[in-house]
Amino acid sequence: MNSIARMRSLFGMPLFVGLTYIFLYIPIIILVLFSFNSAAFPSPWQSFTLHWYKELFYTSQLWHSFLNSCIVAFCATALSLLMSIGLVFYDLKAKKIRSYLAFFYGIVIVPEIVFAVGLLSFFSFFEIPLSLPTLVVAHTVLGLGYAVPLIYTRFLEMDRRLIEASLDLGATTSQTFFKVVIPYLKPSCMAAALLLFIISFDDFIIAFFCAGSDAQTLSLYIFSMIRAGISPVINALSTLLLIVSSFFVVAFCSLNNRSRLL
Amino acid sequence: MKEYLRKALRRETPFFVGIPAFIWLVLYFYVPLTFIVLLSFLLHDSASLLQGLTITHYLSFLTYPYVWIFLRSLFFAFTVSCACLCIGYSLAYFLAFKAGRFKTFFLFLVIIPFFTNFLLHIYAWFFVLERNGFLNNLLQFLGIIKEPLHFLNTAGATLVVMVYCYLPFMVLPLYSILEKFDRKLIESSLDLGATAWQTFTRITIPLTISGIQSGFFLVFIPAFGEFVIPGLVGGDKSLFVGTVISTSMLGAHTMADGAAFTVLTGVLLVVVAALLLCVIRSFERKGNV
Repeated sequence: MNSIARMRSLFGMPLFVGLTYIFLYIPIIILVLFSFNSAAFPSPWQSFTLHWYKELFYTSQLWHSFLNSCIVAFCATALSLLMSIGLVFYDLKAKKIRSYLAFFYGIVIVPEIVFAVGLLSFFSFFEIPLSLPTLVVAHTVLGLGYAVPLIYTRFLEMDRRLIEASLDLGATTSQTFFKVVIPYLKPSCMAAALLLFIISFDDFIIAFFCAGSDAQTLSLYIFSMIRAGISPVINALSTLLLIVSSFFVVAFCSLNNRSRLL
Repeated sequence: MKEYLRKALRRETPFFVGIPAFIWLVLYFYVPLTFIVLLSFLLHDSASLLQGLTITHYLSFLTYPYVWIFLRSLFFAFTVSCACLCIGYSLAYFLAFKAGRFKTFFLFLVIIPFFTNFLLHIYAWFFVLERNGFLNNLLQFLGIIKEPLHFLNTAGATLVVMVYCYLPFMVLPLYSILEKFDRKLIESSLDLGATAWQTFTRITIPLTISGIQSGFFLVFIPAFGEFVIPGLVGGDKSLFVGTVISTSMLGAHTMADGAAFTVLTGVLLVVVAALLLCVIRSFERKGNV
């Protein structure tokens, strides 16, 4: 190997990856820095302050939309998780659903905006008022598209001998389901729940069409704030959300190590 | 009779536990999609009473400006997916093979943006691209430019921010397939006299083609319908498919037009996806020879 090729193989990859990480993190670092700046953005760095964080806590509209987002994300996650576990129960007790699994991949293939628009015209045709419940309905569909494939494929990977042993030793199928299958699926269910919660919480496109004008989620609130222009309060909010989501990532990664979802 | 009913109910419990997921999906996903197709053919008069079926909603979109919008969205989605593939593949390769004991940490850094609201990423780019932002300051400091440039509200800004927002969607599927990749295959290929490039194109890429495929579509499909990023950093100057859908669907009397446009978008997407799939499959076959 000549020296140029060796140099390339030694430094080319780390250099490119380093640049990629700089590309990924420069905007975030600047965003966080400016949340501590005492002057609003176009002016350069002035002095350290926590003023914007204080202002953030007094913005009641923001906390209201935050609460809305939490309610929607929680309901949608619980519903789609329950229904996916129900499917596993059905598969165990009655009939294999493997051949119907493709049915659930439709959500991943259709662009979110097409789905959102379809649901909007569906709701407006039946004159169902758009509000938080309609948003829960929409997010549950989205959640099913992720939860069913994740949990069901995990169930398929399960060692059949465990189930057979449980049945041979005299447990009913229901007992087998609750004492063998559920404990086995628990880590993947928890990881899936985290993922669904985050997807619903961060969703903007569906909320934009299906939430109506009264119900405001955090994403919609952030969108309207960004539309209005740069404000250090959004920076403070972003910093807090970044910290929260890093905790979520740590939890997700440790669950994922056990359940191997991704 | 009561006994019989109870028995039947007991026997059918699994059915009642399993069926809600299917009903939910059909009612709130497949029915609305059919609905939008129906809506696009309905003709309403001024009092929004049903008059009959028509294809007029479609005809207005087969004109020059709208064809141009379709092409622009396709071009952007394709460029973004390719850029994400190039950056994402090397990043995933690094994470899977070279990161060593810092692997978890580097992976963590990639997943955080995936778990954060993407509006915040768009917002973060304002600080980089603004007139007094980081990029202009950096370029002026390095002496490359004298006067600040306009980065915001350009097509370039839209492209960069889209690549930024969609990159994690490409990296994660690629990483999960590269992580399972048997490294002995690379070693044996090198031992048998292939160059590093031959090994990469004939062994690594064909064996990870399913990851490339899912990553590509995970980026391409949402990027095609994107309307938030062009609206916020692209300056609303050039229209995209997503922009047209959202404005006409939320407009007062343009819902049928919006439905027609959405159907056209869906059809186009299916055609393009099928074509791309053929291209990817042909790569796979080439690798097997």
